Amino acid sequence: MIVGHLPRSVLALVCAAAVGLGACATRPDPADTEAVEEFRANNDPLEPLNRGMYFVNEGLDTLVIRPAAEAYRIFLPPELRSGVRNVLGNLRTPVILVNDLLQGETDRAGVTIGRFVLNTTLGVGGIFDVATGFGLPGHAEDFGQTLAIWGVSEGPYLFIPFLGPSNPRDLVGFGVDAASNPLTWISGNEFFDAATNTRIVLQGLDTREGLIEPLDAVRNSSLDPYATIRSAYRQRRAAEIMNRDTAAPAARGTGFGAGTGGAGQAR
Amino acid sequence: MPIMTRRFVLAAASVAVTCAARGAAAQQIDLGRATGFIQATGNELVAAINASNLTAAVRRERVAQILRRAVDVDGVGRFILGRWWRAATPEQQAEYMQLFEQVLLRNLSARFGEYQGVRFSLGRTQARTEEDALVSTIVERPSTPPFGLDWRVAEIGGAPKVVDVIAEGTSLRLTTRSEYSSVITRNNGNVGALLVAMRQQIQQLTQREGA
Repeated sequence: MIVGHLPRSVLALVCAAAVGLGACATRPDPADTEAVEEFRANNDPLEPLNRGMYFVNEGLDTLVIRPAAEAYRIFLPPELRSGVRNVLGNLRTPVILVNDLLQGETDRAGVTIGRFVLNTTLGVGGIFDVATGFGLPGHAEDFGQTLAIWGVSEGPYLFIPFLGPSNPRDLVGFGVDAASNPLTWISGNEFFDAATNTRIVLQGLDTREGLIEPLDAVRNSSLDPYATIRSAYRQRRAAEIMNRDTAAPAARGTGFGAGTGGAGQAR
Repeated sequence: MPIMTRRFVLAAASVAVTCAARGAAAQQIDLGRATGFIQATGNELVAAINASNLTAAVRRERVAQILRRAVDVDGVGRFILGRWWRAATPEQQAEYMQLFEQVLLRNLSARFGEYQGVRFSLGRTQARTEEDALVSTIVERPSTPPFGLDWRVAEIGGAPKVVDVIAEGTSLRLTTRSEYSSVITRNNGNVGALLVAMRQQIQQLTQREGA
């Protein structure tokens, strides 16, 4: 355990600021041990604030983000979207590699390097994921997971418009991943700047496109989609941190429990 | 020594009760049996989903029948209501169970209905706790990335039953418990509010199936 819990004083400060906005969740009666246990397990002391942000995001998503993802799916054929997803995953190699190494996962780091070499050459700049066929399936890693391995606790649950479910640890990880990606720092002329912006927009579209069905299912079948997403996000992150890889390990991995990290096949 | 005797009797009784409870609950399921059960159930489900000569409604009904047999609906329902089970009146408990079965089967069969052309393959099976085993499967559909679906299987009343489904690391049981508890908590601990919401949901699902 290198770094301990998020300093309580910070949490208290955030909460105090949030109380001004009526944003802190009501703590349960301390005598009701089951209620206290549930409150602790939900890890959402800022629930009213988060629900507000969730509401804002629902509006944005309905009006802008989901329609954009739908358009992306409709106008680009699946082969092209697969190619885009593969290229984005390949471009994420430095981030995945750094985090493999920071977690001491040398075998997985080897896989990451092997994939990059094969996909960049035989896979024509990463458009085709040939490495999976060679027995090197992709996986995702991000700095939020590395922090978790190092013993940093996640901190209170946060819901952030555009980005979705998160927490202070994963948000820091997101920033560090962006900063540690060499592509972020290549700039200087219009071409590189445009390329970086295109990459970021495509990343967003690809991530949301992949979530059209799962999120529709949650909205249609959950009596409280906010609570469902909160629970699902935290379970999924726990599984990712433990590297309990499933069949499509690399298809998600932006540090938000969703998004492109490596290979994936578009629908 | 009446006090000593009483203590001894109490201690002996508590040991006996603990042992009895253990004996009833800790029925270790045989891993091969759990795997065979999931393979058989999975094959049945795939056959029902891919029976293209049948109408969507008939397929859905077949999937629901298989699930009703394979899933420990009562146990899952009790687990999901969790601490609110005791807060509910016997009438509410009975109605909840009845609504829960409908919601679970309709939601699952509606989702599986979209899985035309589905295939699955078995992964490894491992003992998870004293009582249950986790059977891993990989589900493949045409033109979508394969995903991992794990089935938690326990021995319930002498037969293997599914007690949880875990998709890509997310447990259906835990997620739904969080959802239901949130609905009740936000309605000041009123279990009746959950039942109202469930009734509305069933109505909506019925309308969508009819559409």
